Amino acid sequence: MAKKLLEIKNLKQYFNEGKKNEVRAVDDITFDIYKGETLGLVGESGCGKSTTGRTIIRLYNATGGEVIYDGIDVHNKKSKKDLKMFNRKMQMIFQDPYASLNPRMKVLDIIAEGLDIHGLVKGTKERTARVNELLETVGLNREHANRYPHEFSGGQRQRLGIARALAVEPEFIIADEPISALDVSIQAQVVNLLKELQEEKGLTYLFIAHDLSMVKYISDRIGVMYFGKLVEIGPAETLYTAPLHPYTQSLLSAIPLPDPNYERNRVRKGYDPKSHKYLDDEEVTMREVTPGHFVLCSQREFDSFKKA
Amino acid sequence: MEKVIEVKNLELSFHTFAGEVKAIRGVNFEVNKGETLAIVGESGSGKSVTTKSIMRLLPESSTEFKNGEILFGGKDLLKISEKEMQKVRGKDISMIFQDPMTSLNPTMPIGRQIMEPLLKHQKLSKADARKKSIELLGLVGMPKPELRMKQYPHQFSGGQRQRIVIAVALACNPKLLIADEPTTALDVTIQGQILELMKDLQQKIDTSIIFITHDLGVVANVADRVAVMYGGQIVEVGTVDEIFYNPQHPYTWGLLSSMPSLDAAEDKLYAIPGTPPDLLAPPKGDAFALRSEYALKIDLEQTPPMFKVSDTHYAATWLLHPDAPQVDPPVGIVERMKTFPGSRYYTGNAGGAN
Repeated sequence: MAKKLLEIKNLKQYFNEGKKNEVRAVDDITFDIYKGETLGLVGESGCGKSTTGRTIIRLYNATGGEVIYDGIDVHNKKSKKDLKMFNRKMQMIFQDPYASLNPRMKVLDIIAEGLDIHGLVKGTKERTARVNELLETVGLNREHANRYPHEFSGGQRQRLGIARALAVEPEFIIADEPISALDVSIQAQVVNLLKELQEEKGLTYLFIAHDLSMVKYISDRIGVMYFGKLVEIGPAETLYTAPLHPYTQSLLSAIPLPDPNYERNRVRKGYDPKSHKYLDDEEVTMREVTPGHFVLCSQREFDSFKKA
Repeated sequence: MEKVIEVKNLELSFHTFAGEVKAIRGVNFEVNKGETLAIVGESGSGKSVTTKSIMRLLPESSTEFKNGEILFGGKDLLKISEKEMQKVRGKDISMIFQDPMTSLNPTMPIGRQIMEPLLKHQKLSKADARKKSIELLGLVGMPKPELRMKQYPHQFSGGQRQRIVIAVALACNPKLLIADEPTTALDVTIQGQILELMKDLQQKIDTSIIFITHDLGVVANVADRVAVMYGGQIVEVGTVDEIFYNPQHPYTWGLLSSMPSLDAAEDKLYAIPGTPPDLLAPPKGDAFALRSEYALKIDLEQTPPMFKVSDTHYAATWLLHPDAPQVDPPVGIVERMKTFPGSRYYTGNAGGAN
């Protein structure tokens, strides 16, 4: 198995902690991300998948748990210098290409911001050259550098977001619903671009989305979240062909497919958390059913999964 | 079959600072009684503008109807006065919008919002309207409707809000329901529930639906017929099976190919190259030609007419002209065509359709 790039251990993110309206957005989740892979994270809105991404990159301070990147704990107290090093290795692409680019900055300055902060280029000439190079990498051209974000379409803006993330030569990119705001035909363009870049630069992705068919297409492994918990994680193929957790099954049965015959005969499965009938003394944890395929279950359920 | 609405040769422009945007360039379609017509296409293709012009919801100051008519119940909706139009909206034709967060009034209890069309159009008494509203809430699957009547939109989840919007839209048993991306803002699981609900209610009150979406999976689920729009025109129209299993227009091929399938492990996703056309200066000929690898020389010069494929299936592409060269669609599309009797790739034993 490939090298672990990122270990997430018992990560917790509670909002309004200790108050009456406490929200356990991310509740004790543990998983690893291997070097060079794409891990897809799916679940319905409000299940905590975006919060997980944002906590990993330290946009929020975690309530508990550890995020270990290449052997170093990210959430520990850190000097500014260490933090800067870390920020260079990990970058994020946001969902809304309209809101994540500063409308008052030129594309040149948006993309070069990271370069300036990290002192990666010397002089205007090198700076412009590097930005032009990045624009070409994402399929835009150098004339675009002097424009403002409003002059671009949604797909082009998402390309700018990708160029900005790539500027500091990161190893790991968190893509938080990068294609949800785009049209079908443009989605395919952006997904292909992300895949090409991964092959070229050996990037690792955490790909957060609720479009399951796209996630299946881009991911090597997939994690499914439900109400702040990771309920199932495993290789993409296994998860789609043999989902074990009833929530995963329900989610998969809901994907609309562009095939009228299939749609006419579809059976949609519901999910009721009460259907597990957990007893008070049962320990519900992640258990490995087949190698690499973990499911949140009780010992009783685990035994029945094993038998099947 | 009885036609509920007929749109004929609709042409419409917006006047903006940048110039005249030719948003709709000759659109024809009709919706039959009790059927669901899905209009698909990417943003800017004119699908929302088409339906907004049916409802006359476009800003009058900047919109110019250049040509065409919208026939509904023997009247041309483009010619009647605003006052008459108000009697149509919410009564004969109602609309469900994309975003249930913004289409409800946040300062009004939802009960009053459902009662509004009942009081205005059906002239019910307050008590009767209240009763009917509770009934409607029950119909759209809201638990404890009496209690919920007094609550405000922010006390509901996204899926519940969309149910309320549907209740408002169906209050007066409209002849035509226009749903503009009603499930785009929702999760797959909730989306499934809302689609089931809409299909269910359609049968109960026998209404026709125009369903706008860019999600082909949703189209396959709800539609009886499909119209594919591109660059302000309908480029292909047919029954749902004809569009999905025997598509003819290269743009429809592109749309279908860019959806990843769950079982096949493609290496690379097909992406339609380029960007949608600029309707400030619409391209000559077939608007899609510039992005299409199947474009013929004539595509750049003359706009293709609608060629007939079957009685229900028409497509605007020169590829269907008798003199056009025979081209093979992308592999995935040929696979689809193999299962469709009547397509030239039909293999006889309906393979994939199980």
